[in-house]
Amino acid sequence: MKLGVVKAYLKKEFIDLWRSKMIVMVYLIPMMVVILFGYGIRMEVTHSRTVIIDRDNTKMSQEIIRAFSTTKYFDTKVLNITDNEALRLIKQNKADLFIIIPHNFEKNLMHSRNAEIAVYIDGSFPLRATTLEGYVQGVFLNQLEKNGVKVPFKINQRNFFNESMRDENGIIPGLIGLTMLIAPAIIAALLIVKEKEAGTIFNFYSSPVSKIEFLIAKLTPPFILYSFNTFILFLIAVYIFKVPFKGSFLLYFLASEIYIVISIGIGLLVSIITSRQVTALVLTVLITVIPGFLYSGILMPISSMTGESYIEAHMFPVMYYNHLLYDAFLIAQGFNSPKNVEYFFILIFYAAALLFIGSLLLKKELK
Amino acid sequence: MLEVKNVTVKYKNIVGVRNVSFKADSGEIIGFIGADGAGKSSTMHAIAGVKRFEGEIIFRGQVYHSPKEAEKIKPQLSLMPQGLGLVLYDNLSVKEHFEFFRNIREVKRDIEYEKRLLNMAGLYEFQDRLAGHLSGGMRQKLSLILALLPRPKLLILDEPTTGVDPISRRELWDIVDGFRKKEGIIALISTAYMQEAEKMDKLLLFDEGEVIARGKADELKESIKDYTYEGEIESEDCFSFNNRTYSLKPLNLKKASPLLEGVFFVNALKKGKKNLKIELEEKEAKLSEVVVKAEGLTKKFGSFIADDHVDLELKSGEILGLLGANGAGKTTFMKMLLGLYPIDEGELYLLGKRIKSYEDRLELKSKIGYMSQRFALYEEMSVKENMEYFAKMHDLSPKETKEKIEYFSTLFGFKKYLNDFPKDLPLGINQRFSLSVALLHEPVVLFLDEPTSGVDTIARATFWKFLREIKEKWKISILITTHYMSEAEYCDRVVVLKRGKKIVDDEVKKLHEKFPGLSFEEIFIKYYEGSA
Repeated sequence: MKLGVVKAYLKKEFIDLWRSKMIVMVYLIPMMVVILFGYGIRMEVTHSRTVIIDRDNTKMSQEIIRAFSTTKYFDTKVLNITDNEALRLIKQNKADLFIIIPHNFEKNLMHSRNAEIAVYIDGSFPLRATTLEGYVQGVFLNQLEKNGVKVPFKINQRNFFNESMRDENGIIPGLIGLTMLIAPAIIAALLIVKEKEAGTIFNFYSSPVSKIEFLIAKLTPPFILYSFNTFILFLIAVYIFKVPFKGSFLLYFLASEIYIVISIGIGLLVSIITSRQVTALVLTVLITVIPGFLYSGILMPISSMTGESYIEAHMFPVMYYNHLLYDAFLIAQGFNSPKNVEYFFILIFYAAALLFIGSLLLKKELK
Repeated sequence: MLEVKNVTVKYKNIVGVRNVSFKADSGEIIGFIGADGAGKSSTMHAIAGVKRFEGEIIFRGQVYHSPKEAEKIKPQLSLMPQGLGLVLYDNLSVKEHFEFFRNIREVKRDIEYEKRLLNMAGLYEFQDRLAGHLSGGMRQKLSLILALLPRPKLLILDEPTTGVDPISRRELWDIVDGFRKKEGIIALISTAYMQEAEKMDKLLLFDEGEVIARGKADELKESIKDYTYEGEIESEDCFSFNNRTYSLKPLNLKKASPLLEGVFFVNALKKGKKNLKIELEEKEAKLSEVVVKAEGLTKKFGSFIADDHVDLELKSGEILGLLGANGAGKTTFMKMLLGLYPIDEGELYLLGKRIKSYEDRLELKSKIGYMSQRFALYEEMSVKENMEYFAKMHDLSPKETKEKIEYFSTLFGFKKYLNDFPKDLPLGINQRFSLSVALLHEPVVLFLDEPTSGVDTIARATFWKFLREIKEKWKISILITTHYMSEAEYCDRVVVLKRGKKIVDDEVKKLHEKFPGLSFEEIFIKYYEGSA
């Protein structure tokens, strides 16, 4: 390997990244993804527009209404309308759910007769509906207990690791896993395909520059630039989204560096099969966003996947990195957990394999 | 020194070039002559070791059969691929390019040598300018001196002069010529300009993926002198072009000194190809005296002025050639005439009508035929489907459409290709079929943008013959752009643009009277230099 050649190429790449303003993309895109998605994705449902029709009008029903009005989860309105009118409110998207407390509710309850409550939830978004259902049940159980109604059992629930059950704590690390898969891959692919599209690739093809020199020159800039991003994204997570960081920063940093290499490896493979920047961009986004989002465990726990999706999730490197990320942020087991060690080595394997395949497939000739 | 043995280059399903063999000694310039797709670039890519090939190449005792084996000769080689400054990075300055190429080619900095190169290319004062801000000619010259920087022993230049203004072209040649003598290099140079062939030591003539003739320019011309006659005649058994007629059978005409392009004609005749005869019926057309009148047309792109107050008049029944290098403003000008670009300044009259808005153009659309650069055909549709589509756009009835397709495909000789896809056809066929698409709706004026670029000699000759016939019999006025200065010969009048400004506007006849004995290339260089 000739160091002078690599240095010359590197200098050119950095000048080009700077003057073509691609550098903005390098830092802006990951930050934007984390910030926008971080604020945008919410698993918990708050301020759902709730209509309560109180036909009982007793102390108990008043208390229930108060219980609903005092949480952030419901924006409660008490209306005296018919069932059909309430239904219309949901259809017109003026309410998300309505609750009917029937006549004689308190009386039935006190006399241990079957007391029923009607809850109608807009089910167009199943996830929101089931969440709301849980909330509503919770409020009622709580209320009954306070009033001395015997509930045959009691759940003593406590969440570990994300004690406050904040959405951000779960989502932000997942988003870091997503962006760090997409962004370095795009830049790596573009840096190579750009030369193919412009014709400057001939400088590599027809000169004594070796494949290894070219690869180092092309892949080092995205690696260095995105290494800084691991710090930036860490700061965003901890200071803007207040995600606790309980584990080892070293684990976070090392795992992220390896993960960047994986992403760059994907970009390299894309650059080999494409010859236009647009195609390279679309293809990279396509093959990184889907595993980065669906099979990463952000939206759906991997353990609840079955069949094909379970296998697919294990095929993509995202799952392993996210596991380590969650450990670094929330669990803090570090390398004491054999699973973390295993996943760490799986990541190293991915990185090495991608780079190896990429350098084998890269040809110093026209197609 | 360089020996190429039976080299064949294949792409997925087509053969780029078949069985090329030749030898070259140091100090020699080998010229590759031929049209786009004739096999010149394929051969160069094989020799430069950037494309897989069959056969064997030996350079200075090193034998190679593949790009991988060619690695060992790459330190001695420079390739300048086809395209204006293709190897340049737009965001790097001239100086930074030198630094980059010096380092990747691992040459020691030789200040004197670099200064000489920069001076030769006239770039010494522009060292801090970004490559993206250089003109086409300057880009080509920079690419060339960068190729010379590592002092290669084998210099491969793929159409270094295509589309470059005549002065830069001459300078490019001076640089190469000076070099090969001093440094004893082998230079392989392809060109689309026949005049440049004279400057080469040896020529390889490419046609349809094969070398059809080789030798010195004089030898090649000598070889066809028995078939070359003066004047132009119309017959199936001979080709006429450039005031020469080529025929295998003896003709009752005076013999003439042959031109190099004649080799292509004679070769075609030997292969049994027939000249396309074209006879059109006379048509009457009443037209205003002046078909197109542009006064001070100006187009700006940001701070760049593509066309700077250009006046132009296309008279009825005239072929007007709009000439200039790439980037001179020809296409931009034509797009303003067509309303594809808004006009920034100036006035435009089409068929006697002042054009101010889009509505003004609507009723004229049916009178204007347009053929765009690189022909703008639909690649996924067959020739026939393309024609049907364009006929529908012009509201032709199905019956009319059928008749027109039949008529034009017979007339222009592409009937047997009707069911083929444009991308599978030679450029020359696409060119004729695009012309017939432009003629479908019987326009009275034709705008043709670079219709002859990259097309082989015979197709070009045929095309010009068609144009003159269309003009004479159908009274259609034609505005045509080209970067081949020599094609001025076939126009009635020429306008030459240089970086957006008009430098020539005269009748061809008068130009010849003014500069007796000079070729158009030479005449325009005088204007370019401002000495005429």
